[in-house]
Amino acid sequence: MPGMPTDGGGAIVPFRGEPGQGAPSPPPLRPIRHGVAPPIFRVYINWSSGNLLQVACLRPPNSEGCGGVEVAGSVVEVNLGSGGNGGAEVEEEIDEAEMRRIEYGSVPAFALLQSRKNALADAAAMSRMSSVPDYAEWWQYVLEYSKTIGNLLGNPDSPPAFMIEDPKTILKVREKPTSLRAAWELLEIFYVDKQLQSWLPERLVDWLADFDSLLSATESTVYSKLSNFQKKLINLQIVEDDPDYWNGLSAALSVGWLDIVVNMLRFHGSYQLDQMDNRETENGLVEAVAVLVSTMPRLRPNLPTGKLGQCCKTRPDFVKAWEKWRGQVTKLECSAFWIQCGHQKTRDGLKNLLHIMMGNIKELTASTSHWLELFASHFLYIRPFTVGFEGMHHLAQKCIQLKPSSSTTGLTGLVIGVLSENPEVVLAECTKHFGPWLVTHAMELLTADNDYADTMLHEERPNLGGISIEELHRLVYAQVLCSHSLTWQIAPTYLSSCLNQGLGLLEILLLKQPIQDNRLVLKTLEICRLYELDNISTNIMKVAGIYHWKHGRKGVGVYWFQQAHDKVRLDRIAQQLFEHIGKSVADDSFKQWEGLLELLGSDIGSAGGLEFLHRYRDFKRSLHQALDGRSGEAARQTVDFLIQLMRNPSTPQRFWLPLLHDSMELLNCKPSPLMNVAETNLLLNKLQELSLAKLRPDFSNNHLPSHALGSVRLALASNLARAILEDP
Amino acid sequence: MADSPSFRRHPLASSVDLVRWLPSSAASPFERLLAAAIYDPSSGPAASSIRLLPLSDPTSPLASLPLPSRATALRCSPSTLAAATSSGSLHLLPSSFNSDAAAAVPGGAAFHVGPVRGLDFGGEEWVTAGEDGRVHVVGGGGDGRLVARRVWDGKGMSGYEAARWASPAEFATGGAGCGVQWWDRRKGDGVAVQCNGIWGRGIVTGMVHSIDIHSSRKHICVVGGSSGTIFAWDLRWPQQPIPLSGVGLNGTAEPVCESEVWEVHFDTYTQSSDIISSASSKILPVMMCSEDGILAVVKQDERPLELLAEACAINSFDIDPQNPSDVVCALEWESIGVLTRDRDTLVEE
Repeated sequence: MPGMPTDGGGAIVPFRGEPGQGAPSPPPLRPIRHGVAPPIFRVYINWSSGNLLQVACLRPPNSEGCGGVEVAGSVVEVNLGSGGNGGAEVEEEIDEAEMRRIEYGSVPAFALLQSRKNALADAAAMSRMSSVPDYAEWWQYVLEYSKTIGNLLGNPDSPPAFMIEDPKTILKVREKPTSLRAAWELLEIFYVDKQLQSWLPERLVDWLADFDSLLSATESTVYSKLSNFQKKLINLQIVEDDPDYWNGLSAALSVGWLDIVVNMLRFHGSYQLDQMDNRETENGLVEAVAVLVSTMPRLRPNLPTGKLGQCCKTRPDFVKAWEKWRGQVTKLECSAFWIQCGHQKTRDGLKNLLHIMMGNIKELTASTSHWLELFASHFLYIRPFTVGFEGMHHLAQKCIQLKPSSSTTGLTGLVIGVLSENPEVVLAECTKHFGPWLVTHAMELLTADNDYADTMLHEERPNLGGISIEELHRLVYAQVLCSHSLTWQIAPTYLSSCLNQGLGLLEILLLKQPIQDNRLVLKTLEICRLYELDNISTNIMKVAGIYHWKHGRKGVGVYWFQQAHDKVRLDRIAQQLFEHIGKSVADDSFKQWEGLLELLGSDIGSAGGLEFLHRYRDFKRSLHQALDGRSGEAARQTVDFLIQLMRNPSTPQRFWLPLLHDSMELLNCKPSPLMNVAETNLLLNKLQELSLAKLRPDFSNNHLPSHALGSVRLALASNLARAILEDP
Repeated sequence: MADSPSFRRHPLASSVDLVRWLPSSAASPFERLLAAAIYDPSSGPAASSIRLLPLSDPTSPLASLPLPSRATALRCSPSTLAAATSSGSLHLLPSSFNSDAAAAVPGGAAFHVGPVRGLDFGGEEWVTAGEDGRVHVVGGGGDGRLVARRVWDGKGMSGYEAARWASPAEFATGGAGCGVQWWDRRKGDGVAVQCNGIWGRGIVTGMVHSIDIHSSRKHICVVGGSSGTIFAWDLRWPQQPIPLSGVGLNGTAEPVCESEVWEVHFDTYTQSSDIISSASSKILPVMMCSEDGILAVVKQDERPLELLAEACAINSFDIDPQNPSDVVCALEWESIGVLTRDRDTLVEE
């Protein structure tokens, strides 16, 4: 054991580096507080759920010095999951509980989509002709699915309730956007939403408005410019003298945040009542720019409330409006009023805004920070008709050259992957940055209307063990769910959608669930019932039965064996119980068994060997009554029970004599015989069999008086005699 | 039907095993409070606790009482909140939720070994019934200490999952395979009457999860258990339990659910459609929740009224005793749901 402490921390695990490696890095050590005094005789290590490792430390059995006081062994759980595991950036913004909420919420949507997919596939198989309208229907389903999941990820448009808005607020206080949602929305825009395809550029502008703050944590963005200015604003006396004011304005305008621009223009000093008179022209120019900004034509069907611009649904409408608006912008730019504007910074700043609106590439490049912002400004002011991935990709390349970014986040990588029409890159970026949840659920978006992605993801690959990429990612995600004690219950939904290996893993998952808690067992069994895994549920019941039986909860153990229809174990249990019952059960001690006998229920068929106990109890009760009351009815019934017991093959042989001995008093005290000839003969035969068996070495002695056999025989013989006499 | 009853979900970011309404007290006259048994495996030793939640914002607890292990039963009396755990302990807390005043009976050989699922307050004492087959009555010892008296030790021959008082002297228990038992302490310790119950799917025995007894009809127990089984047991005819719902039971309409019925309560809000007959023989309406996410009101010989059909299990629910239109339920997916019923929605057809 090179280099390992054997006595210091009590660690006894030898470790050797990989052969061939020069200097193996020291293994990470985890001290365990097991509380077991050395010497430790044996250590068992076993994976529990997730990152938990169960370590059992045992002392040697009967070691001296134990004194019976110290612990002989203990099981500790070690959590190996702590510390950063270089995971996705999602984990930084969304805490575990929030992620679980998303995981739970996406289950119904995923299940619904899968069932619809199966229904469509079935329908297509039935009638091979009508697959085209089905396809149209399909993307509607995917869109619905995408919207449901998008809502789970948070709604950036919803303002927190009861906010009194300060008129000087530039950036609205909203729910913090997450990159998970940004990625989801991006995929939805490009892959699913067919209705809005022709307005794709404007949708990208909207997307950027929602998620600009996520583009870069270190480098400057339009968002960071504006929020910095916001902080500064409170202390500014004359806003228009500050260069950041004009920088912020041009930045916001270049990415199309028109409402923010108009709002900021109104901060201009010339709007103040005391200055209105001598800055009349200046104020007129500011207002004219504000009006132009707010009437900018936009190629989109509608605008959310609070956003500015005039919507044009069709291209001809847009072209007409655009030319008119551009004309107004140019006219204002050439206006003579600029000479009368005394404030230099205002004049330059406003002119700059006009140049942006005229689509001047130099101004646009200067006022944007990130390449995606420049990209969006191209759609707004230079090429509003850009369609098709090829053109967009080309433009994106150009923007990246102009504004190279040192740090790439998952989002920019995703945008490039989407634009280059490369589903492999998209998938890789999702896997790398957004974790298995997104990959699994976004797979449906990628394949919604993309034949290449569809084949790529669904093709069964020999190098993946015959499963498809889609199945692989679902299995990975299901493993993540399985590893947490609160989310394992939703893993079956995903496993059942994996045709090749899902069911096998599901069976393993179910069999590995803890069986200590009856409620949890019932939850596991419910899943077995849903997926019709009858043999698994039988196995679980048997395991649970053994656990409870061994821990002294005999009733619950028998219950589970009964549920599992486990005749073999019930018979074994019956043998054990007979040992306890012993020679003859006094009525008091029998009371203890009452509960168990009730458990066996009236249908003794299901109880296996325990059936005997039930009959025995009935016999005992009846005998008690018969001896007490001495009524003929009860005596006759007792004898019936006795005959049944003696006839039944499940009655153990060692109970034959005690049974007969118990009923001897009854046989003797009656003047008239209780049994007919045939019945008496049966008992005599059994008695004979017993006296033969007595000679065998494995015969168990019953602690009955030695003359018991003889006296029973006498009683039976006298009964026989009387019965023969009475026999007609 | 008018608008669907309004239902709100509140994510709690940890597993909610049980949930109860707390009676409004002098300490909180304006705020309606909930008590929830929370289990959060990520928080290490403090994984299990009872939390006091305001109805207005259940996500921010007002107070918390740590438990040694996962809670298995939770009940309120007018002055006390009681919780039993899977390690066999019982914890009593005054409704002021002052955790210094909490009292406990530790689990172990002297009390219960293993989960205690049956817990109820009978006006003077608490009854506890465990899976270890023991039944205890716990009361104050006069000097502020708790005294537990063993009523019965089944020595593991039967295991109890539910307990409910009928009167200060009588209570009912139920469990795995052993059906329902009626205990009358005036007739000595031990079971007075026994009923095996009726179970669906051709099985002879099932597991009882919950029992309720209506305060005005103390001779009738309503029982919920395995395979969607709900039946009523009338002590006057102890050998003839009355089926209310279940898979494959004769004489009932289609079952309201096919999975485990975790909890049943008499629903004082829903009125029987036939008031005259309900006064005599019919079983009063019963609300139930199940593993397959159903919250419904079941009435004898009538179609069940489904209130919720969730995608996940509903593990526990409670009807506000002071405002019975409101129902709170514990959902498997780490959240609680609050359902407010409108009087109009209950008038069917």
